[in-house]
Amino acid sequence: MDSGLRKHLNILDYTLLSLWRRRLKNLSILLVFAGVIFLVASFELVTQALTETADRALRNVPEITLQRLSAGRQETVPLTYMERLRGIFGIREIVPRVWGYYFDEVSGANYTVMGMDRRRMPGGKEMDLALARGDMPDPEERGAAVIGQGVETVLRQKGGSLLSLFRPDLSQVSFEIAGVFAPATDILTSDLIVLHPEDARDLFRIPSGMATDLLVYVANADEVSTIARKIATLLPDTRVLTRTQIRKTYQVVFGWRSGFASVCLLTALTAFVIFAWDKASGLSPEERREISVLKILGWETADILAIRFWEGLLVAGLAFVLGCTAAYVHVVFYDASLFRPVLVGWSVIRPDLRLLPTPELANFLLIFCGSVLPYLAATVIPAWRSASVPAETALSGM
Amino acid sequence: MLIELDRVSKTYNQGLPNEVAAVREVTLAIADNAMTCLRGASGCGKSTLLAIIGCVFQPTSGRVTVAGKQLARLPDRFLALHRRQYIGFIFQRFNVLPALTVQENIVLPLIPLGLTPQQMRERAGILMERFGIVHRRAFPAGQISGGELQRVAIARALVNDPPLILADEPTAHLDSRLSNEFMDCLAELKAAGKTIILTSHDPLVTGHRAVDQVIDMQDGRIHVS
Amino acid sequence: MFLNSWSIALVICGLVVTFLMGFAARSGIRVLFHWNPDSDANRQIQLENEIWLTSTLVECALGVQIISLVVFVLAADFYSQAIVGAMCATGSLLANNFGVPALIVKIGGVFFYGFWIVLHQLDIRSEHYPLVRLKYVYLLLLLPFLALDLTLGVLYVAGLHPDIITSCCAVVFGETAGGGPNLLSGWSPRLSLSLFYGSALALLAIGIVLLVRWRMWASLLFSSLCLWFFLLALMAVTTVFSSYIYAMPFHKCPFCILKAEYHYIGFLLYVPLFLGAFLGMSVIVAEPLRSLDGLEEVVPRFQKRAVVSCLALLLVFVGVATYPYLRYLILGGEG
Repeated sequence: MDSGLRKHLNILDYTLLSLWRRRLKNLSILLVFAGVIFLVASFELVTQALTETADRALRNVPEITLQRLSAGRQETVPLTYMERLRGIFGIREIVPRVWGYYFDEVSGANYTVMGMDRRRMPGGKEMDLALARGDMPDPEERGAAVIGQGVETVLRQKGGSLLSLFRPDLSQVSFEIAGVFAPATDILTSDLIVLHPEDARDLFRIPSGMATDLLVYVANADEVSTIARKIATLLPDTRVLTRTQIRKTYQVVFGWRSGFASVCLLTALTAFVIFAWDKASGLSPEERREISVLKILGWETADILAIRFWEGLLVAGLAFVLGCTAAYVHVVFYDASLFRPVLVGWSVIRPDLRLLPTPELANFLLIFCGSVLPYLAATVIPAWRSASVPAETALSGM
Repeated sequence: MLIELDRVSKTYNQGLPNEVAAVREVTLAIADNAMTCLRGASGCGKSTLLAIIGCVFQPTSGRVTVAGKQLARLPDRFLALHRRQYIGFIFQRFNVLPALTVQENIVLPLIPLGLTPQQMRERAGILMERFGIVHRRAFPAGQISGGELQRVAIARALVNDPPLILADEPTAHLDSRLSNEFMDCLAELKAAGKTIILTSHDPLVTGHRAVDQVIDMQDGRIHVS
Repeated sequence: MFLNSWSIALVICGLVVTFLMGFAARSGIRVLFHWNPDSDANRQIQLENEIWLTSTLVECALGVQIISLVVFVLAADFYSQAIVGAMCATGSLLANNFGVPALIVKIGGVFFYGFWIVLHQLDIRSEHYPLVRLKYVYLLLLLPFLALDLTLGVLYVAGLHPDIITSCCAVVFGETAGGGPNLLSGWSPRLSLSLFYGSALALLAIGIVLLVRWRMWASLLFSSLCLWFFLLALMAVTTVFSSYIYAMPFHKCPFCILKAEYHYIGFLLYVPLFLGAFLGMSVIVAEPLRSLDGLEEVVPRFQKRAVVSCLALLLVFVGVATYPYLRYLILGGEG
């Protein structure tokens, strides 16, 4: 090992000692700093979790979703529209879907009811694999339902093996439970009830020959926007949503929200930077004497600067690890409960969202830029001031 | 290592109303392997002169030559490199850092030299052995007695094995027993080949048998006797 | 598109660099006006201290500039998720006229700040500090460059318009062409590959010549070749090597390799390349200083080390870049 490197290791060693000697002062900076990082990181991780959830949800969404708008509101789509789209080249499959929300007054829960012909959906077979027990009912079979874990819990509390739902006119329909979705798919299926399309139509009293929306599957991903444009021209009263567009909208919304939150956090950051500057600037007489003694004993200004550099890096690094870990625990195990009031309305996807981010380098880089960089910048000049204490300070009579 | 000062002056706060000429036109040569004492009342400029010899700062004018090398006008960084290699300092009140342990204090001058921790411990160990403070190795320096403190200070000045040792009023805060002990220790170092320069107005120091030369200072000027 | 965390991170990086360089320039101006090595007035001692301030500030600025370069690329990747027609970072950099210039200026910043630090490190090794004036004039020349960097960054972000689903039936369609737009098109891979490996060999040869016997013209050639190789390598990564890393023939993007999906292999690729190219080019930066007072030994030693490290780093780069390509040739794709 060359002596320059060893010198730095020695200085690092000395820094650790001196941090430990002033542990009270350093601990206060560390805790405040970790707190700031905790705030920044929590928001970042929440955003990341929401983005991932949206991505996962969108993976099952077809390339194009077709809704009909009337007077600016969504209406049911006549199945005859499907015939009009047949002519467009490149469409692989069109699947009508009947779906809606069902409010269960007894338990106060909101279910998502969905009915579609899964034989015609590419990847529809995979739904069998998503079941914890039971089977997907035969596509022709009426009166059977597949439910998510959340629905099952409510059902078990009520007792009984039949799922009873009410039509809008309060007449009752009952379904047999054919299968239950696996807990692993909870994020998508927890509140889901999958029915035969005719059953779903019957439940919501949607006239036959109508669907809530049409799912358009496209064979070649490159042709999506061309096909979407053709559909829009052909059926001017529809809204054509492509998957990439939905994803981009989510991104912009999440990005905007987290950006807005970051701006709010900037106040906390500024306060902390001022605090750090202040702590770093105030040199006690003992510290001045120590620096001057070191200088007389042959330390250069650059060596003192190296102490300050390591000090900053160690404090910032430790605070970073602490803050990020605390934020992860906060977001994953406590569902970001500190931010609950702010987070209401964030859950574009699902009200009872489980936040489970898998952070990557980019997230940490963002957190780093929003916390450690300003701190390091704020301590450079005080560090130099302390390093430029003249050597003669420790001599008597001067 | 011959030290030559040629018309060296040091003025504090130059150009300001509180300007002070601490050292005026001092010309001086200090021989190798000798013990020289700068004597004078406080404020006569002896500490300033010692600091100039020790390259702690530069003189306002004049030349300082150590072993043939011109040191005045060198940037701060090179003065530090010079101090690190050639000079051992013993301060008034010793300036031992009270929060560090005895051993940590002694190795301070070695840290920028880039030695391994093993080498640093060994060197400190030898010196602590020699001065009888091994049992205090891990004690905070703030908790040891005055005599031990003095030995820590000497050990620290010797740890980088410098040819030149400077001591600024080393006995000012010691009783006569400790002062004598200290001077005997310096005498040993001189016998071992070191060059020693100290400042004092203590007759116990200036009258010590090992002192080769006493230089009187008054108002920043010198009178060799 | 300012209100999202990536834009804010970019703004913070920009502000921090400006703050650091601003203070550095302030002390630079003081040094330029009052520096006088023969004086021993307090001011000269003060200025000697300020040299440490400036160098620390510029070193920090360099660090932040490197971080901001990474942030810029990753931010572009993030924007691509929100912009019409952008598939990855390449697309969003091409989304307006300021993206690519901003990137180039940022890379330039890393090199120029780095050269300043090389000058400084050489300077403080001479007892006479012979480069003080030169390095502070250079520092002041960096300021317009910094301003350009900031302006381009702001213009780029301001010029990005996200694509949002509107609540009415008006639909916006982006054109999603092929595998997304490419930074460089129309380059024949065969030609660029032979140029790439040819230049690498030439660089190695000149490096060895230099190490055996130092010649002025050879050092000039070495540094110029380094610059050439750097540009060529960026091009080769974009047009050839990246698609072997992605295992997708039409995905030619120099940025996606920096992402977790590809195990951050891009960092392993770019860090040796940038560092190697930087050291190689600093050889010629140091060349005129060889005869300066007090630097007669320092500069040649630095140059020799720079040549050796440059060659070693570029070798690592060539190795990392070639690996997926060779793997493909040997295993035939689905490896």
